[in-house]
Amino acid sequence: MALSYTVQAIQQLPGHEDRAWHVCWNPTKPLLASCSADKSVRVYQYNDAANFSHLTTISTGHTKTVRSLAWAPSGKTLATASFDANIGIWEQEDGDWECASLLEGHETECKSVAYSSSGTLLASCSRDKTVWIWEVHPDSDFECLSVLMEHTQDVKCVSWHPTEEILASASYDDTIKMYLDDPSDDWFCFLTLTGHTSTVWSLAWSPEKSYLASASDDKTVRIWRRVAQHKWECALVLEGNERSVYSVTWGPGKAPSSSLGWVAAVGGDGFIRVWELSENEDSSLHHNLIAQLPNAHDVHDVNSAVWCPRQGFQDLLATTGDDGTTRIWRVESKIDHV
Amino acid sequence: MAFSGALTLTDLSDFITPSQACIKPVEQTNKAPEKQLGAASTEIHIDSGGAYYEVSPDDPALSAPPRKLEQAQISLNDCLACSGCITSAESVLITLQSHTEVLNFLDSNSPGESYKLPTLSIAPQTLASLAAAISSRTAVPTTPRQILRRVRVFCETVLGFTHVLDTSFARHLALREHVQEFDERRAQSGQMPMLASACPGWICYAEKTHSEILPFIARTKSPQQTMGTLVKEWMGQTWRKLPHEIYHVSVMPCYDKKLEASRTDFYNSVYSTRDVDCVITTGELELILQEKGWDLSSPVPGELDDPPPSTLPELMVHPGTSSGSYLHAIISHVKTTSPTPLVLSVKTMRNSDYEEYILRRETDQVEVFKGAKCYGFRNLQNVVRKVGKERGVRVGSGAAGRLAGRAQSNRALERGLDYVEVMACPGGCVNGGGQLKPPASTLDAEGYPRDWEETGVAQNAKWGDKEWTKKVEEAYWSVEQRGDDADQLLGRVLDDLCPAGLDHESRNRLFRTSYRAVESDVVGLAVKW
Repeated sequence: MALSYTVQAIQQLPGHEDRAWHVCWNPTKPLLASCSADKSVRVYQYNDAANFSHLTTISTGHTKTVRSLAWAPSGKTLATASFDANIGIWEQEDGDWECASLLEGHETECKSVAYSSSGTLLASCSRDKTVWIWEVHPDSDFECLSVLMEHTQDVKCVSWHPTEEILASASYDDTIKMYLDDPSDDWFCFLTLTGHTSTVWSLAWSPEKSYLASASDDKTVRIWRRVAQHKWECALVLEGNERSVYSVTWGPGKAPSSSLGWVAAVGGDGFIRVWELSENEDSSLHHNLIAQLPNAHDVHDVNSAVWCPRQGFQDLLATTGDDGTTRIWRVESKIDHV
Repeated sequence: MAFSGALTLTDLSDFITPSQACIKPVEQTNKAPEKQLGAASTEIHIDSGGAYYEVSPDDPALSAPPRKLEQAQISLNDCLACSGCITSAESVLITLQSHTEVLNFLDSNSPGESYKLPTLSIAPQTLASLAAAISSRTAVPTTPRQILRRVRVFCETVLGFTHVLDTSFARHLALREHVQEFDERRAQSGQMPMLASACPGWICYAEKTHSEILPFIARTKSPQQTMGTLVKEWMGQTWRKLPHEIYHVSVMPCYDKKLEASRTDFYNSVYSTRDVDCVITTGELELILQEKGWDLSSPVPGELDDPPPSTLPELMVHPGTSSGSYLHAIISHVKTTSPTPLVLSVKTMRNSDYEEYILRRETDQVEVFKGAKCYGFRNLQNVVRKVGKERGVRVGSGAAGRLAGRAQSNRALERGLDYVEVMACPGGCVNGGGQLKPPASTLDAEGYPRDWEETGVAQNAKWGDKEWTKKVEEAYWSVEQRGDDADQLLGRVLDDLCPAGLDHESRNRLFRTSYRAVESDVVGLAVKW
């Protein structure tokens, strides 16, 4: 089947000495950060022509793999989640990235970290099965607000709703859980989404905010629709991956504004797949595979894929792989290209 | 399943949970017999009693008789020494320090040379939990004092205990010692803030994950262990019994008290005995009552009378918190010893589990004391962070190395904390993991009668226990102080225990303990994802 878009390689960013796990676009500045099992974070800058150049490497001091990254919405602070069980908070001082704070408490490997949309809350999760919520205070101070022990296994990913203070977590126990703050009480889990038949690796909210995508070891991506204030239901199962799906990302892309934007997924089969999603008139979901690329990191697993959130660059996709590289792609219309 | 606190540690979400990394169960101390050349392989058979036997399947007649296999066992000391778990594994505790252990002992404790005087000490929080449960079940308000009298009758007549006491006088002693230690630390500009030492969950956690905090933890023994000293050393004297001639059981709101009693610090090597021989939880006491068919809702004669002139004052009230009033004991001490009048202000930080108490001089509003009450695992995290930051002690490892200069320069100029009452359970000891669970409601949300246990529906998944904890708290404070002059007795106890006067050495021996960091040697599986 001929697809209407192609995944064009823009640039390859080598440098990590071990597998590259995660990549994160700065929301306000032309910066991109990647992290790796080599315990470092590499920061790149890019210009309007999408030329990327290496800016600096942060030797984090984490004693084990840096598994994931999150920029604060201000773009001024970077959080690192490490297998050494700690979360590092990094801020720039006289040009250098300094560790401004270290969040301890997890018993074992931290897997993911995420800032809420307002930047006032930080969530982290770990193999110790817990999800922690921290409040961000001035002077890089943090207060632990909640330790949620809802999952029965390793928690792989945490992700905040794009505007509301709703947190979602994905786990090796095959479920996704959502949490809310009860102002008179404590954070609590108000919803458990079941359906995946294996580990849920990654989560991504839709740009229009009411859908959540989840990537799983069961080779599928599921799309969950908000059907009530505090209720989501599975609306679609995207199939086609031949192996585990490790990462999913959802952005507006260059899709028509009447659509729900582009979902990209990567994983063990080495493919980058991009779907355009839209709502049918009966409000069921329509999906269309618009582009795919095999061997995105040659023979290696692709560990993460993230759409650039910045205006004008929203067709840019960054991926990281077991080959230690970060690769930048542009999803382009074949017609435009000709 | 019945709503008993005996079998489940908890289903609340703020407790410290056991670790996945317990390595002990896979250890096998059974030595394999020397393998003969060409010997047949063996099989394992299980007999009707559930015992495991190793047998040789080829020729049973010729080979050795079936060899009974040992079960791998974990002792409490293994738990204390291992850094795998943050705290105790409940299953381990249940098998080794259990109510059946107590019943077995009582059964085998026949008069004779090896007879031990069975003595029971009950925590006030345990009595509050039982009082709340009975009050709610019978709709007749019942106080902890009535419960104590009823439990006493049960334990003396049915179980054969010779003495049934509550631990409030031991707490009185511990509080006094705690205040004394606070003064010592302040005078010698010792490690401040001083952190409470009565919660064994907190002690275990600090020893295993935050050794840098240990110098700040008070060395005062908990009321349970003070009671152990009182019973075995002081009351033993009056009963003309040596420490090992007394079997001392305590009933506690908390599983980790079992770990505390097992610490080597509380083992008397001269007499080969522990200050507290066995700890059971409130839930386990309820189980014993159930098994013996005793109904705690029936009054016993004289349960409303004034306390009999007994060895120790009964149910002393220490105003403050239901977790022992450690902070309030210090506040009232600071207030009464201050040369100028002080005013107390209380600030609730996020909820009632985290409150700051500040004493200011009435004249010029200058702050002279800052204390905090801090309950629950996440608040405990914040205390560790705060103390680490204020005192500039190294917290953690790894990227912290890059942190040094920055943390120092950011240190706040505001006055640091002087004292923190730390408890691992949200709500404190009245909500301990060993307490009774709230009685099941028989009405559903719409008011229809429903058997929740039968339908298998988990009701009130979200913090259903908060309301219940409030009830236990109310029950806890429903005791009014009655009876003896405790301080006169206290003087007598101290005179008896250290006739030469209470000096540094005897203080350490009788009322203080120590802590040690447990280094992590357990490495989880090399996880690559």
